[in-house]
Amino acid sequence: MISEIVEQRIKAAESAPPIQLEGIARDFFDGKVLRRVLKKLDLEIFAGELTIIAGPSGSGKTTLLTIMGFLLQPSEGRIFIQGREVTRFSSNRLATLRMQKIGFVFQQSVLVPALTVIDNILLPSAIQGQSVPRAVKARARELLEMLGLRDYVDAMPQQLSLGQQQRVSIVRALINDPPLLLCDEPTSALDAESSAIVLDTLKRLSLEPTRAVVLVTHDPRVFPFADRLVKIEDGAVIYDSRQGRQGVPTS
Amino acid sequence: MRRKTGFRILTHDRSTTAGSVLGVVAIVFLVGQQLAIMFGLFTYMSVLVDHSGADIWVLTKDVDEVNSSGSLPVRYVDRIAGLREVEWVEPLILGGGSFRSREGKYQPVQMVGLPRPRLENGPWRFDEGSLQVLLDSEGATVDSLDLKVLGYPGLLEFYEVSGRRIRISAITRNIRGFGGTIIFTNIEKAREVSGLPPGRCSHIILKVRPGSDITAVATSLRTLLPSTTVMTSPQLSASTRLFYILNTGIGSSFGFSVIIGALVGVVIITLTMYTSVLNHRRDYAVLQAIGARKRDILVVVFWQALIVGLIGVFVGFLFLAGFIAGTRNSQLPTNMPLWFPPLHAAITLVLCLLGSTQAMRKAVKVEPASVFR
Repeated sequence: MISEIVEQRIKAAESAPPIQLEGIARDFFDGKVLRRVLKKLDLEIFAGELTIIAGPSGSGKTTLLTIMGFLLQPSEGRIFIQGREVTRFSSNRLATLRMQKIGFVFQQSVLVPALTVIDNILLPSAIQGQSVPRAVKARARELLEMLGLRDYVDAMPQQLSLGQQQRVSIVRALINDPPLLLCDEPTSALDAESSAIVLDTLKRLSLEPTRAVVLVTHDPRVFPFADRLVKIEDGAVIYDSRQGRQGVPTS
Repeated sequence: MRRKTGFRILTHDRSTTAGSVLGVVAIVFLVGQQLAIMFGLFTYMSVLVDHSGADIWVLTKDVDEVNSSGSLPVRYVDRIAGLREVEWVEPLILGGGSFRSREGKYQPVQMVGLPRPRLENGPWRFDEGSLQVLLDSEGATVDSLDLKVLGYPGLLEFYEVSGRRIRISAITRNIRGFGGTIIFTNIEKAREVSGLPPGRCSHIILKVRPGSDITAVATSLRTLLPSTTVMTSPQLSASTRLFYILNTGIGSSFGFSVIIGALVGVVIITLTMYTSVLNHRRDYAVLQAIGARKRDILVVVFWQALIVGLIGVFVGFLFLAGFIAGTRNSQLPTNMPLWFPPLHAAITLVLCLLGSTQAMRKAVKVEPASVFR
């Protein structure tokens, strides 16, 4: 009986959107005036999709991504992860949530330079003091092989090209098999060839039915990879390809 | 993984780590060498008590350190000897004198007069000669450390102390008092030099029979001789050291040096550990972004501080051991009691961790959102 209830809850969580934002607003005080960067924004991210959030510089897209990754608290609004509200979680619980549910790929590959490739990849699975299970180690090697980095397991990050480092970042983001992958302009520092490899990889990852990939960019050349395009300007969604204009669902 | 990350950041940032280790070495060495010298001087202060072989000392009323001269009736010896628990009792004369060298220069010395034939409280290490030479009515010793200051007196040659003739019959090895040169001789010669009248002595020492309670005998003596000060040897040793610490500048001088040494080390550790965190703040932001809690970041930096502390303590004690070995048999007194190294190491580690608290605070305050900038 109990196992049935648990199973039902797991299924409900899996079928719920990986992340849902309700009325998210964020204010910043610049020393003189209080500026609202995000203006009561609603957004639901669905699994099995590559969602691109685009907008000009200063539009609030990176702030939105930061809030989606629980690295910044919203001034107003509610956040749901797989149907569960997490807005008021403590910083420790949010850290654990980040570790379990979210993978980050940053603008520049921010690997820890003192650690080898494999140690960087295993960090999210052991940074809270746990020992790394064998299955996770095997998964790390499998992912490295998948992204063509098999020969760089024990290399230091400085020995890799920027494109390779970014691919290592992707492996690190995937090591805990999170339902949500957040990418902040992951190709901005890469050449055309490396960009194509990274985008192709992210696209492939988004095809998994349990995972959503969110990519923030201002580069229109990336848009063709999107399953869904969300445009932000002045802290508000001005276009959502899933709905046409915000609030007006497409047929 | 947290410990591994901390360790790898340390080895990756070698110059900053070396700076932090230097801070710990500074604490261990600067504090250690100052205290080793202070402990060395402590042994000088109470050297006569610590090597006396006596259990109890009787001194003039209100005297609380062994090197003070005083005047006690020698007949007290007989009264003390009457106690059943006393194995032996002897009078002593400790007094000042002025040694005249071959060149006619004068040097203040401390004369220690021992009653013959037992010669209790006599010298315990010799370079030349033996205790028995003091049975000679003019026999006296000088120490190898003092040969230079006394103008290299020759063995079996005659010299004057405060106008009285002595013969250098033996040379002791590294026996020195806080006041400088100690010359051992027999009690009659010491009385001549110090000017104490016959029938008087400056101290009385005694040994209690095996199995007797030393403290109880001391209490009995205080009742028996109310116009004297009675102390057990450990009491007199501690009291003598305390006297010099409080009544000379030695306590505050060494205390100040120790505090400065510790402060210098803590400042170096604080600055270098803080610099290390600043250099790696992006790494700490990444760690938080990928799931590290504040306490995980603390563990990473704490582990770094601990490793720096342990390496620094090890290297610092190597230097300290070299210093102590180098000063052995020299004019610079050094001594390191067995209890001191573990205590010093523990306090240094605590100081190292205290010095790292600013770095820890900085590391946990790094904004994880900064990885997006």
